[in-house]
Amino acid sequence: MEKNVLQWLEMTAGRLPEKIAYSEASASLSFGQVLIRSKRVGSAILSLTLSEGPLAVMMGRDISTITADLGVVYSGRAYAPIDATLPDDRIKKILDRLQPAGIISDKEHLERVNSLRGLYCSAVDGKEEACPILCLEDLLLKETDEEALLSVRKSMLETDPLYIIFTSGSSGNPKGVATSHHSLMCYISAYRDVMGIAEEDRLGCQAPLDYIAAVRDIYLPLLTGAQTYLIPKEFFMQPTELFQCMREEGITAVGWSASALSVLSALGCWKDDNTGLPGLRKICFSGSVLPGKVLSEWQRNLPEAKFVNQYGPTEATASCTYYILDHVVREDEVIPIGIPYDNYRILLLGEDGKEAPAGEEGEICVSGPILALGYWNDPERTQEVFIQNPLKGPYGERIYRTGDIGRLREDGLLEFHGRRDRQIKYMGHRVELDEIETASYEMDGVDSCAALFQEDKEVLWLFFAGNGETKDVILYLRKKLPGFMVPRKVKKLEELPKLPNGKTDMTRLKEEMGRSRRSK
Amino acid sequence: MRDSILEILREQRPDVDFENETQLVSGGVLESFDIVSIVAELDDEFDISIGPKDLVASNFDSVEAITEMVERLTEEE
Repeated sequence: MEKNVLQWLEMTAGRLPEKIAYSEASASLSFGQVLIRSKRVGSAILSLTLSEGPLAVMMGRDISTITADLGVVYSGRAYAPIDATLPDDRIKKILDRLQPAGIISDKEHLERVNSLRGLYCSAVDGKEEACPILCLEDLLLKETDEEALLSVRKSMLETDPLYIIFTSGSSGNPKGVATSHHSLMCYISAYRDVMGIAEEDRLGCQAPLDYIAAVRDIYLPLLTGAQTYLIPKEFFMQPTELFQCMREEGITAVGWSASALSVLSALGCWKDDNTGLPGLRKICFSGSVLPGKVLSEWQRNLPEAKFVNQYGPTEATASCTYYILDHVVREDEVIPIGIPYDNYRILLLGEDGKEAPAGEEGEICVSGPILALGYWNDPERTQEVFIQNPLKGPYGERIYRTGDIGRLREDGLLEFHGRRDRQIKYMGHRVELDEIETASYEMDGVDSCAALFQEDKEVLWLFFAGNGETKDVILYLRKKLPGFMVPRKVKKLEELPKLPNGKTDMTRLKEEMGRSRRSK
Repeated sequence: MRDSILEILREQRPDVDFENETQLVSGGVLESFDIVSIVAELDDEFDISIGPKDLVASNFDSVEAITEMVERLTEEE
């Protein structure tokens, strides 16, 4: 059995060296090229004297980034993809937590990464040499050192970390989810089986490459010989262009955020005399609850396609459960999240720490080899949610508490019933409302505030009181948070409405959202 | 008309220099959910219906381009 994801690359490159693995608007890489480049990058990293630890990869959304990621894997280290366009403050928090041994970038992004030098130097104890910037173009000049690569491979375990992906944390500090080769390989194999992904498939990638959803588009080709095309981000605002691009590229399968389908529907992608997507046969959507209204529109327009609703967090390697649609849904239908993928087990825990009685709500907990190794460099938060299964006293079984509420139907399908806390899913991203508030409180001029999510409109709101101006609050948050976390509706109030116990009256704020002229 | 369009754009994204930006979509300045919201507000404000065919970068890359598109759609209504 394979224990390292690079074995997939080596097998497929051996079998199909000329076949295209990854492509984008103006470039493509065959499996053979991906293999050679990744090995060169890996060899170059091994020839350097670096401290222990992962490597950050700060590049653009293009296929060379994937060879940088895989090159890091060849060097035996884990990679942490970081979006170079994030605000400085955010990148600093990530680097503080990550403590990388170096940063890989490319010529295009070197200037930006260099401008962050001060940030990451302070993140790694002021020792500039402790975290050098490596330029991909230079690394690619290095000849492959098969002996060094083999020696690294022999020392590796399948439980070694493969990547560290950062997500929103309620305290204002992003959490780095570290996932092993084995977990990733379990998930990708299970997903391949459910979706029926094969060599002839063309996958249309929607996700940013630093985001968990991208692992499917990066690793499915290595396992199956399929090809991934990186669809330009701006096409998701231009439905006619998007569909034309997908037809030209012959896209057959997608794993997109539910929000991408919603946005395209809202932009009228199926209206007018659209020639549609006759080649698209496999559609997995995940990340948030997809309204029946949106799904039924896609189903009616793609009657031949298989639709799969996937549920699951980054901490369980992108997923837990799936549900294959077997009928065109009604507009008001609530779509179940289904049954666990192979090698995933679900448990619903009641508030008393016991298994929730049949048919009742409980917290969705996951176990299996797909559980993340934990939060990088953060044992405290790891211990809070990766716990011993209270039902398995006689032996050690780790479970991950998702914080999501579920209910098991009589037919054995799981339903999603929201969150225990204030985490929401916005445009496929996890957002902790607490984190938005924490960032707002850091600004002078915000005395009190509350972040809310208007679900029906998918709009993030921030209400605040203080002597700051609305515009300044937004500009401040832009410097602190990723763009998708900055509320698009910010409203200044004389004071926030309070409940008798002194807490913010969320119900009155919700009424306030409904009253807004623009959101009618 | 240009001023009310500017107001809508600025309310959505106060951090963007709409007077000078000419690659709002093709340069990745606006996110897809910004566009959804801006389209809904333009439809509302000017009583037009922006369809998928109008949603191309050349119609949304600058405040001038958006104004031209809205003018065209207003005449068609």
